[in-house]
Amino acid sequence: MEGYRGRWAALAAALLLALGGVGSALAQSAHGHDHKAMGGAGKMARAGLAASAAFDDRGRLWAVSVAGEYVEVRSSTDFGATWSSPVKVNPVAEPVEADGDSRPRIAVGTGGEIYVTWTKPLAKPFTGEIRFSRSVDGGKTFSTPRPVHADRQVITHRFDSMTITRDGRVLVAWVDKRDLVAAGGKAADYAGAAIYYAVSDDRGASFRGDFKAADNSCECCRIALVPQPDGNVLALWRHVFPGSVRDHALATLGVDGKVTGMRRATWDGWTIDACPHHGPSLAADGQGRLHAVWFSDARQKSGVFYGRLEADRVVGERRVGGATAEHADLAVSGQRVAIAWKEFDGRNSQLRALVSNDGGATFSERELAATADASDQPRLLSYDGKFYVFWNTRREPLRVVSLP
Amino acid sequence: MRHVRFVIVALIAAWLPTSLAASSELRPFDAASAGAIASAHAGRPYVVAFWSIHCAPCLEDMKDWRALAQKFPDVPIILVTTDPPSERAKVRSVLARYQLDQAENWAFADEFVERVRFAVDKGWRGELPRTYYYDARHRVDVRSGRVDHRVVDAWFARQSK
Repeated sequence: MEGYRGRWAALAAALLLALGGVGSALAQSAHGHDHKAMGGAGKMARAGLAASAAFDDRGRLWAVSVAGEYVEVRSSTDFGATWSSPVKVNPVAEPVEADGDSRPRIAVGTGGEIYVTWTKPLAKPFTGEIRFSRSVDGGKTFSTPRPVHADRQVITHRFDSMTITRDGRVLVAWVDKRDLVAAGGKAADYAGAAIYYAVSDDRGASFRGDFKAADNSCECCRIALVPQPDGNVLALWRHVFPGSVRDHALATLGVDGKVTGMRRATWDGWTIDACPHHGPSLAADGQGRLHAVWFSDARQKSGVFYGRLEADRVVGERRVGGATAEHADLAVSGQRVAIAWKEFDGRNSQLRALVSNDGGATFSERELAATADASDQPRLLSYDGKFYVFWNTRREPLRVVSLP
Repeated sequence: MRHVRFVIVALIAAWLPTSLAASSELRPFDAASAGAIASAHAGRPYVVAFWSIHCAPCLEDMKDWRALAQKFPDVPIILVTTDPPSERAKVRSVLARYQLDQAENWAFADEFVERVRFAVDKGWRGELPRTYYYDARHRVDVRSGRVDHRVVDAWFARQSK
């Protein structure tokens, strides 16, 4: 009897443990399945919509998106009407951040190289590694992904942005918490995070860095990068000014690792301890004037705004869209400025645009598209003097709308 | 044998609490949920706090919600995570870690997040933490960012009378 009960208890325990194991295994496989089932059943049980796109100099449009634990690249020779089959960038599955302002990035080099970056979340909360891969055979194959940064701590390296400098260097900037960690990890001792960057002089074969662009950046907003005529890069990001004021700052990131001209760029006075996930966009016109769009939720000034950033003020500032406008992007071509954003009207997410033919002095507003399902943030692109909005929506993936 | 049985019982005991914690309810939050929560609390004050496992200030707030829930048990604090269904396991483990798994917990269950946010508040652009303080007449005080004790404690004290 004693023996029988002992065996029974052992059996029951084994069963319970096995069930626990099966339970977590099921959760694991459901997790994996959720990501892979692109277009499959179940609301939200699908791949994130976060995507990016860039034109090459022949007008081929390159898009990067996420399918489960793979980063994929497609291209289109007809401005998004049709797309090539996807090429997997990472050969081995790994988690990829594709949410809000955190998204894979793509850029085309001066020799037609396709560069891709993304954030791979690590085991601990808020930690990540910026991954880089390139194709030097026109997007047919991609190099083994590797980290852009030299720092190997399991800490925040997230919200990557990438641009190509005038002379073909690759510059990647990201949000980095090494200084917060070094200060003891408490917000009271170090506000926000930092912006770091790395530069490749050999078409992405190697990177040198990590160069600090600034202390005290916001922790979860995309960084805007614009290549300058002198070969350096201008960066605009949401900063944490004293008193937890989360307005924007601007600086020149030198390819030599030297950062110059850091200054405040916007003065909305949004005081908040939060994760806005609303980073700015920046573009420079032919005269070197800086056009920007950004978001603020300051008590007296809430919404999306456009303005030109001068040394100590914003010029030509105007509100973009209505009460629910969000995630604006902009591009400039000569004297023409285009802004696109999305706006929810109670039923649909509308894609709208403002276009200026006079350097941002006057604008006219256009309705471009709408969707009654989930959608990514829109991205404004220009090619050969024309503007295109890249908008990854659940119903029409990798959609491209040209601006009249 | 007794030794083995002790080990087995200990194993079961160790397994049970985690299994119970893992089964704490996460109700699906969609465009109809804000209205449903309001109806369920008609004539009474309540708080709805939106959060995410990816939002550091949200996690810093968790201790505050636990303390406020203990201090003012008659003012329900409803937690809504904006994380997608694929992150339910992580959400549950965070709630368990802060002993908030027995609070009223909801989780975003509609990928069309603009529609969900619009139903809560047209003015919410997704920033977190985002908290709605409803008094007994359901007049709302909306706050983005971390719990500000200078205002929030007084608000709770007023509702609690």
